[in-house]
Amino acid sequence: MSREEVYDIVQETIMDVIPDVEKEDIAIEKQLKDIGANSIDRMEIVTMSMRELNVKIPLMSFAGVNNIEGLVNVLHENVNN
Amino acid sequence: MLLNQGIGITGMGIVSSIGDNITTFTHSLQQGISGIQTKEAITKPPLSVTIAAEIRNFSFVEKLKNIPNVPEEKFKKAKRLGQRAPFVIQMTILAALQAWTQAKLFENTVASDRIGLVVAGQNSTQNYQYNLLSQFVDNPEYLSPRYALEFLETNQVGVLSELFEIEGEGVAVGGASATGNVGIIKGHQLLALGIVDVCLVVGVPADLSPLDIQGFINIGAMGGKTYNDQPSLACRPFDKKHEGFIYGQASTSVILENQKSADQRVVASLAKVSGYGYNLDKNSSANPNLTGEEKAMKTAMQNAEISTSDVNYINTHGSSSPLGDQTEAEAIFNIFKYHTDTVYLNATKGLTGHCLYTAGMVEIIATVIQMKHGFLHPNRNLKNPIHNELQFCGKVATKYTIQNALCNSFGFGGINTAIVLENID
Repeated sequence: MSREEVYDIVQETIMDVIPDVEKEDIAIEKQLKDIGANSIDRMEIVTMSMRELNVKIPLMSFAGVNNIEGLVNVLHENVNN
Repeated sequence: MLLNQGIGITGMGIVSSIGDNITTFTHSLQQGISGIQTKEAITKPPLSVTIAAEIRNFSFVEKLKNIPNVPEEKFKKAKRLGQRAPFVIQMTILAALQAWTQAKLFENTVASDRIGLVVAGQNSTQNYQYNLLSQFVDNPEYLSPRYALEFLETNQVGVLSELFEIEGEGVAVGGASATGNVGIIKGHQLLALGIVDVCLVVGVPADLSPLDIQGFINIGAMGGKTYNDQPSLACRPFDKKHEGFIYGQASTSVILENQKSADQRVVASLAKVSGYGYNLDKNSSANPNLTGEEKAMKTAMQNAEISTSDVNYINTHGSSSPLGDQTEAEAIFNIFKYHTDTVYLNATKGLTGHCLYTAGMVEIIATVIQMKHGFLHPNRNLKNPIHNELQFCGKVATKYTIQNALCNSFGFGGINTAIVLENID
């Protein structure tokens, strides 16, 4: 699976969790909190993305993640294992 | 009572199987319409009782749009809080908004720390949890973090206090089938103690899991044994062929307010909550207790400083349970035996089903509606009453002026409650 494909899934998940956000507002370099995600929304985006991608990653692996790109990277690494 | 001001109801809201607001609910009471039908979906696993008065064709956003006089900013907030929330949260948001707007609390405001919140509900997330189980067993890691908030009954307190910006005391209370009355009583106490001036009381719908339903079947409490194929005949409060309760769903809300606050805000009180009785039976089991029920009713009237001759209407607990109906009929007769010709009885559960945690509040609302509109709703399926000397309402609604009403609710675990409402028109 390519990074692009992983990003597409993360984007869909973000739109599920924050229904009022427009697709155009989501950009890979943005931080989730800047598009209106509170701490629980962020956790939910992580969990839902993992489920959609069929990966199980310990939550510790997301500790250093700063923005959507970081999230996509961690997911992508594990999808291709 | 500690404070000698009146405590009244200044707003009401309801979403039920026979009406998704007070207006449509009123109409159904007048027409004697019942919401009990064969359930739309089959449970996993299938169960022997497949009838209920469930909420059908539910769209949270559609119903939210239909509530008048909600400021735009509040509408958006309610939508955000509710659209991904469990069904029981969506339902209470709707009922609470109806009551809040009727009481004009968006315009004629009260200081947020003078508003209290009582959520009358318990175990409302059973079905929500049940539906998550099979996926959880395969993949526990994928459980939504929201679960930790959403499975707790106090999620209701959090969400409603955020929506309405409530900063006074907030609590979730349970009383089994008497929960609705317990909520009103606890709200009344907060007001009487002067802790708050306004209390939002919200009744949470029962969203029973298949476990809960089978539990009620196995303990013998649920009806639908003989009449599962004829749902409209299944709920028969006080009739000789009663065989147990039929489950119903509703969310309710009532604004309780002290008279001084209502006068200052220039809002009308719909009825006065003038007294209550609340006592336990030292009994953990499901059976009702004659003495306990009598005591609750007598205490309520004493509290309200009225005598039996002042009560001319009783909204019974009337669940269609053989032992329950019998005990309640006897208790009522023991108290009112010299006034049987001036008191009328009906059972709202025959129309709405037994809404369990919120039943008491459904019935308080039905009582206020009957008071304001000058009628008594019919009793359905009352062909052969189990008690010949009590005066039960008939098959059609009748014109009537309620002076003082007694509203009974009794719950498993020996919980007895009765509330007196005074007609202030």
